[in-house]
Amino acid sequence: MAKRTFKVVNQSVTKLDAIPLALGKPLFVADFKPADALYAKFLWSPHAHAIIKSIDISAAEKMPGVHCVLYHGNVPRIAHTTAGQGYPEPSPYDTFMFDRKVRYVGDRVAAVAAETLEIAEAALKAIRVEYEILKPVLSIEEALQEGSPVIHDEPEARAIIPVPYEPQKNIAAKVGMDVGNVEQAIAGAAYKLDNSYYIHLAQHCPIEPHVALAHVDAEGRLVIRTSTQVPFHARRITAQVLDIPVRMVRVIKPRIGGGFGVKQEVLIEDVVGMMAWRTRRPVFLMYTREEEFVSSRTRHPERIRVRLGADPEGTLTALSMDCISNTGAYGAHALTVVCNSGSKVLPLYRSANVHFTGTAVYTNLPVGGAYRGYGATQAAFAVESAVDEFAETIGIDPLVFRMNHHIRSGETSPVFAALGEGKAGVQQSIGSCGLDKCIKLGAKAIGWKKRGDWRKKKGRYRRGIGMCCLMQGSSIPEIDMGAASLKMNEDGSFNLLMGATDLGTGSDTVLAQIAAEAIGTTSDKILVYSSDTDMTPFDVGAYASSTTYLTGNAVLDAGLKVKKQILSVAAELLEKKPSELEVRDAQVFAKDGSGSVTFQDVALHSLYAANQFQIAAISSNISHKSPPPFAAHFAEVEIDTETGLIRVVKYVAATDCGTAIHPKLAEGQVEGAVMNGICYALTEQYLFNEKGRMTNDSFLNYKIYSMRDKPEMVTILVPTYEKTGPFGAKSVSEIGINGPCPVIANAIYNAVGVRLRETPFTPEKIWRAMQQH
Amino acid sequence: MKITDFKIPTRLDEALALLRVLGPAGLPVAGATSLVFIPEDEPKTAVDLNRIGLDGIRRDNGTFRIGATTRVAALQKHAAPGWVLNRVAQMLASQQIRNESTLGGNICRVFPWADFPAALLALGAVMVLQGETTREVPADEFFSAQPARLFRSGELLTQVCVPALSPGLGFGYRKVRQTATGFSMLTAAALLQLDGATIRSVRAAMSGGVPFPARCPGVEGALAGKKASEGLLREAALNGLAGLKFKEAEGMSTAYIGRLAGVTLGDVLVEAWTQAKEQAS
Repeated sequence: MAKRTFKVVNQSVTKLDAIPLALGKPLFVADFKPADALYAKFLWSPHAHAIIKSIDISAAEKMPGVHCVLYHGNVPRIAHTTAGQGYPEPSPYDTFMFDRKVRYVGDRVAAVAAETLEIAEAALKAIRVEYEILKPVLSIEEALQEGSPVIHDEPEARAIIPVPYEPQKNIAAKVGMDVGNVEQAIAGAAYKLDNSYYIHLAQHCPIEPHVALAHVDAEGRLVIRTSTQVPFHARRITAQVLDIPVRMVRVIKPRIGGGFGVKQEVLIEDVVGMMAWRTRRPVFLMYTREEEFVSSRTRHPERIRVRLGADPEGTLTALSMDCISNTGAYGAHALTVVCNSGSKVLPLYRSANVHFTGTAVYTNLPVGGAYRGYGATQAAFAVESAVDEFAETIGIDPLVFRMNHHIRSGETSPVFAALGEGKAGVQQSIGSCGLDKCIKLGAKAIGWKKRGDWRKKKGRYRRGIGMCCLMQGSSIPEIDMGAASLKMNEDGSFNLLMGATDLGTGSDTVLAQIAAEAIGTTSDKILVYSSDTDMTPFDVGAYASSTTYLTGNAVLDAGLKVKKQILSVAAELLEKKPSELEVRDAQVFAKDGSGSVTFQDVALHSLYAANQFQIAAISSNISHKSPPPFAAHFAEVEIDTETGLIRVVKYVAATDCGTAIHPKLAEGQVEGAVMNGICYALTEQYLFNEKGRMTNDSFLNYKIYSMRDKPEMVTILVPTYEKTGPFGAKSVSEIGINGPCPVIANAIYNAVGVRLRETPFTPEKIWRAMQQH
Repeated sequence: MKITDFKIPTRLDEALALLRVLGPAGLPVAGATSLVFIPEDEPKTAVDLNRIGLDGIRRDNGTFRIGATTRVAALQKHAAPGWVLNRVAQMLASQQIRNESTLGGNICRVFPWADFPAALLALGAVMVLQGETTREVPADEFFSAQPARLFRSGELLTQVCVPALSPGLGFGYRKVRQTATGFSMLTAAALLQLDGATIRSVRAAMSGGVPFPARCPGVEGALAGKKASEGLLREAALNGLAGLKFKEAEGMSTAYIGRLAGVTLGDVLVEAWTQAKEQAS
């Protein structure tokens, strides 16, 4: 690959919002709450599965200071999905603003808007509810049992696209594919593996919980400021649920304090919107941490069976995976998450025979949703654990097995074409792939060569090294669309308006860099505004690892169009042809050295002098492929064999994300994702009592890592150039979280010889497994 | 916790008088880092103890006298021969919390995860309570149930006295937690006194994985008078906890926490023994 030189891209420029964030300026939803805003608060179900026999809101309604009480009897009954996905959504319509039935502890029963939070809380206590308690369904196995209680027995529940949906069997989604004949291949295989894995429930834990502020403006339109990843989907779904036209709703996304997928849900906008609509007062609602745990969204747990077969030479001939995901009480992202368990993991290894099924089941537990990794995290644990086990069965170094089988540049996988999101997938061949180099550099950094067999390890504290390989995607091909608008100002600066959603990831900065590189200026001259459904062009939002790749290409195209206009104006000024000019450092030069004009000269001329017009462009981009970023992760762990206490000593993540537009931010994404993944693997877990109530719904006893827990971490970016991406870029935000579960499982095995197939790897599980050894 | 008023006395007698007048409506506070855990809805008047001169560490012959409002961070930073509470302090919560939280606050209301009770039980600390008179309460009595029961109206904990380690004495301390700032899953502490190669006495205590901080008499009894060895210490810890009840922690079973307790106490005893040997030589 020829070395490319960039001026703005591939540089760690100052993050555009760094200074105001560091200074604590008012940037977040809660900062905009006016003094006269009403406080909204939900009444949650105390039961996992029950029918509301009666509900009396009269006492609450009469309380001084109470302005609005909502429940199923006084709102429209419109089946919808909270999943903020492209329309028509692949998630089933099984949710109502309020329903007569509650389906998990923490489901909506009613909501109140009042002058103060205290009045709202008192009003909730004044609501009398009589429940008929139904038998709850608290596991995948119970949900699939013959005669199990049906969680969605309402007639309106339906899929709005042609996909299997069987609520009477508690099945929220089904998907599958077959290439070749896996059964035959396994039957004839010299080496076989058939193991089941379970990966658990967890929460995103954004530091800013769900928060929204709604008011009705002077023209009678509903304006919602909300902490969302999907402003345009939020507008569409809010309008749908309130039964008002989309044009009557404006959604504004200010700065966001983290999302990780949980804010791809339209979770509270409907209720603050309805309350503001009815009271004509501003309404503010912010989840507590307990509500964020119980009543927002989680990672779908999955039970995964992996079967592998290989010929006598150790070449993989069969790759089979059956995933059953637990979507909880509602089917938000049920189909697409389980589908991605196949589509983002199976293509990684070449096999002539591939089998995949994905089933999502309803239970009376907290609701699954989009979560960084989106199904790939779950399946990567199973497949990358299985690959390690299989390599040992064959008698080959697991690193070598992976090297022998992983997909390479120019190759394709039948999985790409078979599995899409609610429809067939898109055939694609791999463009850039730096996985080989990721494996080599990562292995060197962790010291793979010194890795010994667990059987030879002695002493109380034993160390082990594990690895895995990963891929993800960059946007959803032939579905996702992003757009950008650029206009030039008098001083040669530019407004970049986008629906793309910076959640704290730094995408505003990254996209400004792309614009600046395309035009020929610096990123500080790009004034970014995102996102506002009235002001910015459409974008599906921040999910599916799409913003840099998808919106980035729209920005690149808009930048090139603007540059062309700048050249034509400069040509007028310099009395040259555009082809005789070139742009450098916010100036246009005649190639023959006869003269130059600044961007400011160009802008002033175009706005005031002659042939005036606004130098501006708008571009849309739809992706036709989803080029995977690749990664190889390695970890060294230390285990106290007396207690099972485990410590990650060192973690190495080598990632190919194409061109890193902003290397520091890309490294930050990798490190954040890895930390997120390590505590998911080791310490995070939902504890439930027998009635399905979460018992550890706070940061006091739900353990997430802070920087103090960071092990020695080596982050390697392996540059490749993805021809279809803006300046060679692919995605980086999700892939990193998929590594820690399999890497740590593999490292535990290498340390002490026990194979844990259920996450999280608590000290007790490690210790007990060692006792049975 | 609902605080409706805030008083800032500047002398100890003023604080004691205020608390006497307020009775149960008065709430002495210093670091105030635990208020968030107290669910009571009753309105309280907070009485700030930070300006009445109760902070500081001073040595009085073989005893460290620690003012009740001494910050955990100050215990962490303190360095003197025979001083061991830095080892306890450094593992408590985060630096931000340690900068605010006080020793008195950590022990006057015992939360299940509190770190200092186990250490003070092992060290045989003495708590000084001051009201109209001054009295001393040994750790065993102080921590035999919630200390609140001991306080008479208008009485405050003013001082905690711990022995400075002298030759032949060794202290061991471990806190097991899943994250750096997480609460204790199990805390174990031990003070071991050597007489040559023989164990003269052991005080061992535990908190975190048990319902309430407690001594470990079975372990102590099995060691006194015996010739010390690593095997003996570990065996005593593994076998001597039968009388203790353990509780589930972070999704882990009582049986596992019991195992963790035995191993951790063994580590603590070995650590104390090692220090005792070093101190003796």
